[in-house]
Amino acid sequence: MPAASALNVLIVDDQQSMRILVKTCLNQIGVKDIREAADGEAGLRELITKPAHLVISDFNMPKIDGLAFLRAIRAHPPVANTAFIMLTGRADADLVQRAVQFGVNNFLVKPFTTAQLKAKLESVFGKLT
Amino acid sequence: MSADDPFEAIKQTFFLECEELLTDLEASVTALTFGDGDGETINAAFRAIHSIKGGAGAFGLEDLVRFAHVFETFMDELRSGRKACDDTAIRAMLHASDVLADHVSFARGLIPSMDEERSATVANDLRALMNGAGPAPLPAAAPEPSAPAGTTDEIEAAFGFKPVMFNLDALPEDAAMVPEGWTISFKPHVRLYETGNEPALLLRELARLGPCTVTLHAEALAPFADLHETAAGLSWTIELDAPVEKTAIQEIFEFVEDECDLVIAPKGGALDTPDVGDVDIAALLAAATAPASDPVVPAAADVDIQALLAAAQAPLVPPIQSAGEAPTTAPQTPTKAPAATAAAAPATSAGTQASIRVDLDRIDKLINVVGELVIQQAMLAQSVAECGLTASSTVKVGLEDLEQLSREIQDSVMAIRAQPVKSVFQRMPRLVREVAEMTGKQVRLVTEGEATEVDKTVVDRLAEPITHMIRNAIDHGLEDSEGRAAAGKPKEGTIRLAALHRSGRIVIEVSDDGRGINRERVRKIAIDRGLIAADANLTNEETDNLIFLPGFSTADTVSDISGRGVGMDVVRRSIQQLGGRISIASTPGKGSVFTMSLPLTLAVLDGMVVRAGGQTLLSPLPSIIESFTPREGDLHRIGARDWVIRFRDRFLPLIDTAKVLGFSPPDRGEINGKDGIAIVVENEGGSQVALWVDDIQGQRQVVIKSLETNYRKVEGISAATILGDGRVALILDIDALVVLGRQQANHADFKIAS
Repeated sequence: MPAASALNVLIVDDQQSMRILVKTCLNQIGVKDIREAADGEAGLRELITKPAHLVISDFNMPKIDGLAFLRAIRAHPPVANTAFIMLTGRADADLVQRAVQFGVNNFLVKPFTTAQLKAKLESVFGKLT
Repeated sequence: MSADDPFEAIKQTFFLECEELLTDLEASVTALTFGDGDGETINAAFRAIHSIKGGAGAFGLEDLVRFAHVFETFMDELRSGRKACDDTAIRAMLHASDVLADHVSFARGLIPSMDEERSATVANDLRALMNGAGPAPLPAAAPEPSAPAGTTDEIEAAFGFKPVMFNLDALPEDAAMVPEGWTISFKPHVRLYETGNEPALLLRELARLGPCTVTLHAEALAPFADLHETAAGLSWTIELDAPVEKTAIQEIFEFVEDECDLVIAPKGGALDTPDVGDVDIAALLAAATAPASDPVVPAAADVDIQALLAAAQAPLVPPIQSAGEAPTTAPQTPTKAPAATAAAAPATSAGTQASIRVDLDRIDKLINVVGELVIQQAMLAQSVAECGLTASSTVKVGLEDLEQLSREIQDSVMAIRAQPVKSVFQRMPRLVREVAEMTGKQVRLVTEGEATEVDKTVVDRLAEPITHMIRNAIDHGLEDSEGRAAAGKPKEGTIRLAALHRSGRIVIEVSDDGRGINRERVRKIAIDRGLIAADANLTNEETDNLIFLPGFSTADTVSDISGRGVGMDVVRRSIQQLGGRISIASTPGKGSVFTMSLPLTLAVLDGMVVRAGGQTLLSPLPSIIESFTPREGDLHRIGARDWVIRFRDRFLPLIDTAKVLGFSPPDRGEINGKDGIAIVVENEGGSQVALWVDDIQGQRQVVIKSLETNYRKVEGISAATILGDGRVALILDIDALVVLGRQQANHADFKIAS
């Protein structure tokens, strides 16, 4: 049973409000070590500089979307082993299928509640304390 | 989601983002309107709407979500090519983006009510267009357009997705850990010594990180006889026995890294910590955006073509290609595409601008402090000047450097507040659309110089006069379609909105290709309203500018658009309050150009330092026409107390500045025409008066300090500033001063009469 406070999470979203929102929810769950990045490139840089247990990334981002970001992480062995939750406002079969192909761990659909986010984390890491 | 306090703050952030997103949307839609758009433009519009919807959902703004959802679905149809992006679609997008903006404004509380009917109509139009989109129906799995976004569980239910467990134990424990120690090899170049760096100091810094074992390598040192003072022969190996981050070591060598050979390696060849510099992030991302090797999407063939096109256009950057297979021609096969897109990636990533959002209050505070700094520096300079030091004294030289730096800081801080006028300009297409619809005219808006920067406070106050000028140009300037056809002009009228910098000011031009000003009519109205004498002899320019006089309105009927009782005089006044001017140039039958010029900032002011009644005052430079020492016989007394002065064969009212502001006792000697200077200034009505002052001390740029917030409103004074010698100088409010002078004169006459 991992402790939420031991988790190290990286949030990637081009919208600042969304990043703060996810961060606020994570704080409520008890996650302390949270970093943010505004796009896939900055996210990858951040992740390579200091690994994280989990990446929560938006799908809908300019330049590099969440799928490509996920794929880039999986393709780079030093960081490939990172859990990945895709944040999306719109789920369709194609997105789900491709994300699964690239090794997504779970999805979080907007709008979400803190409880839903916690359930997502637990679906990936098991029950959190 | 409940609207707890933290969420309320995030909501405000979201609304700020919405502003940007709506601006992006407007830009995309405008580009499509003019046929400048492509697939990426539609995509950008889709993303903006999607982001607004996503955020709105999180904050429970349901009406906004519902409308955005329909709009988003519509854009998705266009994006996928299921629906053609034709004129009807673009018109629907125009209306939808306006309604979306209204929904955001309403959610934000900026507008009191939402036009639900219009929203519903536009949403229905979008739906109708989608239903008529052709044989291609929505994919079965996609949610219905009217349904809210699928919840998380739906993904699991609808697509049979199972969460993938992640084993934390599998994560290497030491992934984020630093090695126990470092081996640093440090070999200074001659340049390091030449630039005054001292290896001993660097070694001492290193020793602060932990216990060090330093080995000196003097083998390369030349024999004593051949030793030259500029040669560098020494090098060191340092064993640092502390688990510090690599960056901590790099920081120590930060300023000399180009002037030495430096190798920082984990001690004993232990695990290497990841270093971003060693990883080609662009290449990783390019590979990830390349088409999947095992395509699951049938449409992947399209993506291949795009990748190839991108590859063909990409500049070839040598370091990314391996030496063996550097292609000399553009890649021909899909397999080479990833490598070439990798080459293209750095160019795009270099183009991104990093920016941060800063509270305006903080910048204002900084501006204030910098203002104080400049004043303090000027005071210091004056004190030093009074000490009688020689020009070469170190104090003076240092002070000059300080002055230079203060000025640079001031300029940089001003630059922080500078904003492109784009934010104002981009609100105008919608205005033009609305006014065009109301008047039934066809109008095209052309904007130029959107990137022109000006102080934030000025940007905020530009919107109103520009709005008014554009309304006026469409309503009064442009002819209707028949009128234009009769005049042999294209049916569509053009309004041009341009911004440019000219001699330290920003100039905004609003021009139209309409009928121009009907001078006969303007003249007649001016005479009818008693604004000019019936036999007044005016130049064309003077006639045109009559429209700025208070109470002047050329529209025969007060229209819905530019009527409302406010005329161009209001525009003129609001511009003058910002220290600006406005004028019009018109060619009958060809159109009119409104030109307004404004200062770039409201925080500093160029002024003339004058003395009157023993007080130091500042007269704003933009109002000053001329200053001169009158000759004998130039001054004439009119009645008991009034004076006029001859200026270029005209007589101007003369205002005794000291007396009007009450600096001198009423029984002070009268103006005698000998020891004083007249400053000719222009007031907001465009009429000229002369101010009588004791002398002029020079021209200066000053930081404006509000008198109202620090003291109280004083008639005839607009603000205050602090001069180099520490004295407070009041800044004259020319218009108020003129009014004040007139009142006092009337009052005096009254006293004499009684």
